[in-house]
Amino acid sequence: MKKYILKRLLTAFFTLLAIILILFILMQLMPGSPFNDEKLKESQKAALYAKYGLDQPIVVQFFRYVLNIFQGDFGVSYKISKNTPISQLIQTRLPVSVMVGGVAVVIGAIVGMLLGLLAALKHDTIWDTLATIISVIGVSVPSYVFALALSYTLGFQLQWFPMLFSTKDMMGSTVLPSVSLSMFTMASIARFTRSEMLEVLGSDYMLLAESKGISGGSLIFRHALRNALIPIITVLAPLIVDLMTGSLVVEKIFSIPGVGSLLVNAIQSNDYNVVISLSFIYSAMYILIMLVVDILYGVIDPRIRLAKKGE
Amino acid sequence: MSKKISTAYSDPAPVYVPVDADFRLKDNAGEIAIDTNFASQNFWKDVLVRFFRKGGAVFGLIMIVVITLFAIIGPGMNEYTYSGQELSQKNLAPRVPGLENLGIFDGSETMRTTTGSMKVNNYEDKGLTDTYYWFGSDNFGRDIWTRTWSGARVSLIIAVAAALIDMIIGMSYGLISGYFGGKTDMVMQRILEIANGVPRLVIVTLLLLVLKPGMLTIIFALMLTEWVGMSRIARAEMLKLKEQEFVLASRTLGAGSFFIIFREVLPNIIGPIITQVMFSIPTAIFTEAFLSFVGLGIPVPQCSLGSLISEGFNSFTTHPFQIIPPIIVMALLMLSFNLVADGLREALDPKMKEM
Repeated sequence: MKKYILKRLLTAFFTLLAIILILFILMQLMPGSPFNDEKLKESQKAALYAKYGLDQPIVVQFFRYVLNIFQGDFGVSYKISKNTPISQLIQTRLPVSVMVGGVAVVIGAIVGMLLGLLAALKHDTIWDTLATIISVIGVSVPSYVFALALSYTLGFQLQWFPMLFSTKDMMGSTVLPSVSLSMFTMASIARFTRSEMLEVLGSDYMLLAESKGISGGSLIFRHALRNALIPIITVLAPLIVDLMTGSLVVEKIFSIPGVGSLLVNAIQSNDYNVVISLSFIYSAMYILIMLVVDILYGVIDPRIRLAKKGE
Repeated sequence: MSKKISTAYSDPAPVYVPVDADFRLKDNAGEIAIDTNFASQNFWKDVLVRFFRKGGAVFGLIMIVVITLFAIIGPGMNEYTYSGQELSQKNLAPRVPGLENLGIFDGSETMRTTTGSMKVNNYEDKGLTDTYYWFGSDNFGRDIWTRTWSGARVSLIIAVAAALIDMIIGMSYGLISGYFGGKTDMVMQRILEIANGVPRLVIVTLLLLVLKPGMLTIIFALMLTEWVGMSRIARAEMLKLKEQEFVLASRTLGAGSFFIIFREVLPNIIGPIITQVMFSIPTAIFTEAFLSFVGLGIPVPQCSLGSLISEGFNSFTTHPFQIIPPIIVMALLMLSFNLVADGLREALDPKMKEM
């Protein structure tokens, strides 16, 4: 197990390094330098280069870059808000994004589980078909289509919820973006719960539990669902990818002041420094979550745990 | 003595002369029945039968065919072009000859203002009695019908091209990695893990910052991100098959590695690979739409489903009819490809869990 975790940690670390290297190379490839002002004399330029360490060999620059990033120093934004440290920009925006995404995951997980449970318990009935149709639509239709539809019907026509995000009404204005982001999570968890539940319900230990006289809720929730939900960790990775991509567009639609809309703004105004820093943040978050998922799966699934012990 | 016996034998019955009918096969069509449960059948025929038994998959297939047909002929069905602007005829609501007499698609739309809503018909107000925009016109006076279908065409081309390139790259990578195993596999899998660690979003965004946005760039970006899943599947299938007898037989007969990989193993794993291609097409459509929405998509005046949605979004509260056609076409396309892929996966592997 230790060896397994160590291996995963090493892979994650090297992936992160590779990403930083790619980002660094991209920065070098970008046209122009930070000091494009033509009024600057050569000597002034040289002084500026020396001040920011740009006169040093490229390898030294790279290591300074890595060091800075790990200390949370991403440099400053050049266009969106001039000379504001990027870490400061991110600090105010990240919590908003994480909150909207988190609510989406919670909604999606609960509704999806119930939907999957319903489909499995009422197998081969109209409920099953209905749940299947909902989950197929949820998996295939992108979140921003839901976002636009919800924003038009519930936000604009019926005016139940605000169309745009506002910090004054956090509760109300989180509903629409979170629900539209949660569709994919909900659908994939519903699919997964259904197929796993069907398998568990047909297994011998369920028969044993039933013959021992356990019935009703206890049978389904304590014995069946608990076992069915263990492998659900495997679907977490695609869910997170989808949440990240989805959040960019959904944040733009509802004008949420989150990381996603910051990235969109940065892309549209060619603020390379911000784009690259955010790319790093996204990658780091993604790698961290994948690492946690892998290790959790190793901890939970005895087959992985024992196999590694035997090595 | 012997003569006597022979006469005694031949005496009672007349000599039987065989007729032609005796040499024909007995007609037993009514007696035999082929047991269809055990009869050997062509694998692909079986797959087809199972595939067409699934309602969802058939629906998906029909939708894909219909949308593809419209993507080919749709833009030529009226006199407008996808980039032709007519500023005097902007933001007209959908109007279809024939249907307009029924009270739908008659070119009127409901305008909402702070004081309330009212119904206006811009065709009548502007005196355009003979002008028809089937899906309406956008805020440059371009025909949305033509643009929707040429957008669908662009999106489909991007998605299919990207999926096919991914298939070739991912498949070869996975097959080679799985076949050679050992150190080769180790190195190739570590590279893959690192490539997989970078979120797709980041790769695509960065690439489009460096390269000029356009169809080829988007295909290239999709190519870089989607091959990982394909190579995983190819490798897993290779690991299953490479220890089997037919591979050993081929090797004994002197076949080289590449012959075994591409001529012996590949035809046997084509099923899962096609399924994966079908699954990666909607992902490609979505990624393209997402990129266009962010502003990194197809440059104007060309359009794709994503760029149409992004344009329609700017006025989707005042003229919702502009965003509805591309959104519906895109949602249907993605849904259909997913349904077909699901159906195909189950048809190819009936033991698979449902759903």
